[in-house]
Amino acid sequence: MRAAKLRHDRRLSRLPALLSAAPPSPRPKPDVQALSTRAARRLNRGCAWLSAAVLADSAVEHYRGMFFNRAMYAPLAVSSLTLAASVHGGSDRSGKSHPVRDGIYALAALTGLAGTGFHLYNVGKREGGFSFENLFYCAPVGAPFALLLAGLFGRAAERVRDTAPGDVPQLFGLPAGRALAGASALGMMGTVGEVGLLHFRGAYHDPFMFLPVSVPPAAAATMAAVAVQPKRPRWRLARLLLRLVQGLGFAGVGFHAYGVHRNMGGWRNWSQTMLNGPPLPAPPSFTGLALVGLAALDLLEERHD
Amino acid sequence: MTERFPGYDVLAKRDTPSWNDASRRVIDHRLALEDEPRFLTQDEWRLLVALCDRIVPQPPHRPRIPVAVLIDRKLQQDQGDGYRQASMPPLRQAWRQGLHALNEEARLRFGGNFVELAPGQQDALLELLARDQVRSEAWQGLGAKSFFKGRALHDIGSSYYAFPESWNQIGFGGPASPRGYVRMDFNRRDPWEAVESKHV
Amino acid sequence: MSEIVPQVPRARDGRAPDVFHVGGWVPMREYADDDEVDFAIIGTGAGGGTLACRLSEAGFSVVALDVGPYWRPLEDFASDEHEQFKLYWRDERIVDGTDALQLGRNNSGQSVGGSMVHFAMVSLRFRPEWFKARSQLGYGHDWPVDWREMWRYYGEVEEALKIAGPVRYPWGPHRPRYPYRAHELNAAARVLARGSEALGIKWAPTPLATLSAPRGDAHPCVYRGFCIAGCSTNAKQSALTTWIPRALAAGAEIRDLAMVGRIELGNSGRVTGLHYHREGRWRFQRARHVVVAGYSIETPRLLLNSACPRFPDGLANSSGLVGHNLMAHSNQGVYGVMEDEIRWYKGPPSLAITEHWNYTDEGKDFHGGYSYMSQGPLPVEWVGTMTGNRGLWGEALQREMQKYIHQAGLKIVGETQARDENRVRLADEKDRFGLPVAHVTFSYGDNDHRLIAHAKRFMRDSLAAAGARDIWAEESETAHLMGTCRMGDDPSTSVTNADGRSWDIPNLWICDGSLFPTSGGVNPSLTIQALACRAADRIKLLAKRGEL
Ligand SMILES: Cc1cc2nc3c(=O)[nH]c(=O)nc-3n(C[C@H](O)[C@H](O)[C@H](O)COP(=O)(O)OP(=O)(O)OC[C@H]3O[C@@H](n4cnc5c(N)ncnc54)[C@H](O)[C@@H]3O)c2cc1C
Ligand code: SF4
Repeated sequence: MRAAKLRHDRRLSRLPALLSAAPPSPRPKPDVQALSTRAARRLNRGCAWLSAAVLADSAVEHYRGMFFNRAMYAPLAVSSLTLAASVHGGSDRSGKSHPVRDGIYALAALTGLAGTGFHLYNVGKREGGFSFENLFYCAPVGAPFALLLAGLFGRAAERVRDTAPGDVPQLFGLPAGRALAGASALGMMGTVGEVGLLHFRGAYHDPFMFLPVSVPPAAAATMAAVAVQPKRPRWRLARLLLRLVQGLGFAGVGFHAYGVHRNMGGWRNWSQTMLNGPPLPAPPSFTGLALVGLAALDLLEERHD
Repeated sequence: MTERFPGYDVLAKRDTPSWNDASRRVIDHRLALEDEPRFLTQDEWRLLVALCDRIVPQPPHRPRIPVAVLIDRKLQQDQGDGYRQASMPPLRQAWRQGLHALNEEARLRFGGNFVELAPGQQDALLELLARDQVRSEAWQGLGAKSFFKGRALHDIGSSYYAFPESWNQIGFGGPASPRGYVRMDFNRRDPWEAVESKHV
Repeated sequence: MSEIVPQVPRARDGRAPDVFHVGGWVPMREYADDDEVDFAIIGTGAGGGTLACRLSEAGFSVVALDVGPYWRPLEDFASDEHEQFKLYWRDERIVDGTDALQLGRNNSGQSVGGSMVHFAMVSLRFRPEWFKARSQLGYGHDWPVDWREMWRYYGEVEEALKIAGPVRYPWGPHRPRYPYRAHELNAAARVLARGSEALGIKWAPTPLATLSAPRGDAHPCVYRGFCIAGCSTNAKQSALTTWIPRALAAGAEIRDLAMVGRIELGNSGRVTGLHYHREGRWRFQRARHVVVAGYSIETPRLLLNSACPRFPDGLANSSGLVGHNLMAHSNQGVYGVMEDEIRWYKGPPSLAITEHWNYTDEGKDFHGGYSYMSQGPLPVEWVGTMTGNRGLWGEALQREMQKYIHQAGLKIVGETQARDENRVRLADEKDRFGLPVAHVTFSYGDNDHRLIAHAKRFMRDSLAAAGARDIWAEESETAHLMGTCRMGDDPSTSVTNADGRSWDIPNLWICDGSLFPTSGGVNPSLTIQALACRAADRIKLLAKRGEL
């Protein structure tokens, strides 16, 4: 089991940047503290993907909105900070939380919450209110939600990291592994909701558009089951599904790039097609959420070791 | 009047994705038309140019739009609109007679050719046509008001707003294919659209 | 003054233009003039194009002729109003009446694909009661078809054109979900929405025949706003980009630049084929059945021009109704200036609609209904409104034009009553083929005036409630044509039966907007296509029963 996992990690480490991969050389017999740190770092990397997606997506979308309102710069600034903090955390082997990182994650969560509220308000006040059409085309509710998740998971990473040697990391009074498994399931379902809405807007004109509304829900369901009853046999399936979701995050960018090309003028007309075509930076949120789920599984597994 | 869209030039987009080959070909051709009559006589042409100047007066500090040339070419090709009032003669005949009658009316009212009248007099005369209060016999079988509204205003307005310079003046985006528009909401514009001056 | 116009037919030598690829071709089956084809169809628009597709898919041999050119929108269409006048029927027609129709740009096209090549894509269903206007609403005439049957065919057409419409349509009986989602609203459409909400009536994103997502080789809409000047991206789902490619694939032949001048009647009392002009000469195509689908002016004109000793008043005209009861929709606009920048040239012109007054009968002092939609005229069309409707010129005109990007407007599609005196007949004048041209008479009646006045009042209130000032209304505007060869149940009061089969000549059919007994308060093309699909299914059935 463990060996298989290490193989996985090594394979992934070939992916670009340290954001994606597992720690470079896991020690053969890690102590408990190293394991919590490892999980924390994995969480940080998940947050990095989430915040990178938010950064790119809000940059594109708010550029589309011509930064009509000053507040539209906020998610750019905050997600940049979150990204930096997460990259830092991802390579930080220390067994102690970092106050600045912790603060940035809190800020991200608050900004995400405010953004979600602001986007909801925007939809609601428009003619037609919470109609499908407004949900399609007004400020998307799901985007700031990703920042909120990045903040929350980042905070969780810091808590996990702080676990005293020999202790089982705890979150919300639950073993951290279970809590995170549940939270990643919720996060994934939220994101699936957003994707489902936007792919519905695209009338599922391409059958591949069903992928992100079928694989992640399966992963989320498995993770939810893990959260409720952490049984070892489920982990294997969960891990497999999370890897698929993680890959889907990358593949999605490719699909969306093709989608942009399918618009009039293709990439040559990028100043329109990038904005009106499918959003390139959106899918990697799934990669981030999958990493969070994997971190949750790490925590659960180490408890049983 | 201060310019409403200072610095905006539709033609600056010619080599961007806003223009396709067909648009380039068509607009290039229009801008290359020689500002001289091919169908009308020189006298008729001068009269038409003077008439255009009153119907669509051009802003002083902007490039001049050759409005009359599109009408002359339309007459040269005898390209109608697809319908004609039963009371009106065919296109060419209507314009020829209309221009002639306009001049006759000018002589009758003001004792001079239309092109020689002061702009105020020209306007006063056109006002009479619009109200069908004409005296000249030359309107027989055409009708001053029908000609003025149904032919002159129709064709001259349409010709003026066929030129990119007119689009600059009103902030219209001009050709838009393959690239159309992204931002369509209130007070939003794409970077390739005209910026409206705050001082109008 | 168009630059890019094919001078010789493109559909020949076994191939036809591939509309989806620059310079592309698709294979096309061809028939000789001497082949007696099952169906020769005159006109390839909403009616003819649809029927050609459905009949060829049913296995019939089909030749469809159109006097217009066969465009490849990607390479032939410029973003330019003047150039694109080439899409309209610009051959002379004579008009009169107190509300003489402005034809050409405003009413009918001349292209393979017909008027749909430049239509505004608004795709609406009739209100069910309108099919029984006389018996259920007390005006006009009953249609010889049942609304439930039409509902099915509407569904088929919406699917074929991948109509982009709202998830929930607020009026009328249940309809299946539109295949594609509605488009984003532009500011002009939001003005309609604001006004409607202020006045407490429902509104919706307009169901449109333009793609909101990719489809095959067609691109989604780029919101360039030149729709009625032709869509250069193929986002627009017209007969040219939907039915006709299907028809070709199923073995139909399309003949572009082919003007039909006369339908020939044989000794048996059945028609034997048609005379058409192509590549400089007159030819004769033999056919077992002839379908006229030239729209409300050209269809009666051709029937009248085909008069012969046996039918001296024109073919299929024993009722004397051919050419009569021409209807146009009333189409008055109300405009105002907004503080905000609207820039209504962006996006399809009519992104928002209300059908409130189609489905509400209380508080009306007139028969019939109307819908109204947001507007987005381009400069040449807009200046025409300024000069034509308001008679503006000089400094006053230029001052008004300066407000272009702040304008917003609403326009009705208003039901008009079928009136005998509104009609199409033949003029003495001849066209370029030597055929007598149409003389078209149209005047609004009292009921029409009351409807228009009601609509103008209501739209003024709506615009004002949305924050517009300097509001003004158009006087005499019309859109769309309907009627002149009414369908019905009784040979003495109609020209054809429900299938479009003429009462007088069993193998002469009509399949276009001229069949409408009443006009309804919605744009006609969806209904024309639904009727064509229905006719095709009926023909299949009759063939099976040996009743063709
Ligand atoms: C500017 C504009 C906007 C419109 N917008 C909408 C809209 O948004 N929604 C909507 O539902 N409708 C709209 N319409 C109306 C719609 O396009 C027509 O109602 C519809 O296309 C009519 O279908 P048809 O088959 O009867 O005729 P058409 O589509 O006009 O087809 C008739 C064809 O027959 C050909 N033809 C005629 N006579 C002959 C002959 N003797 N020989 C050979 N060929 C011949 C013509 O060239 C033409 O191509 C619009 C129309 C216009 C002009
Ligand atoms: S706005 Fe859309 S449908 Fe209209 S012409 Fe442009 S791409 Fe075509």
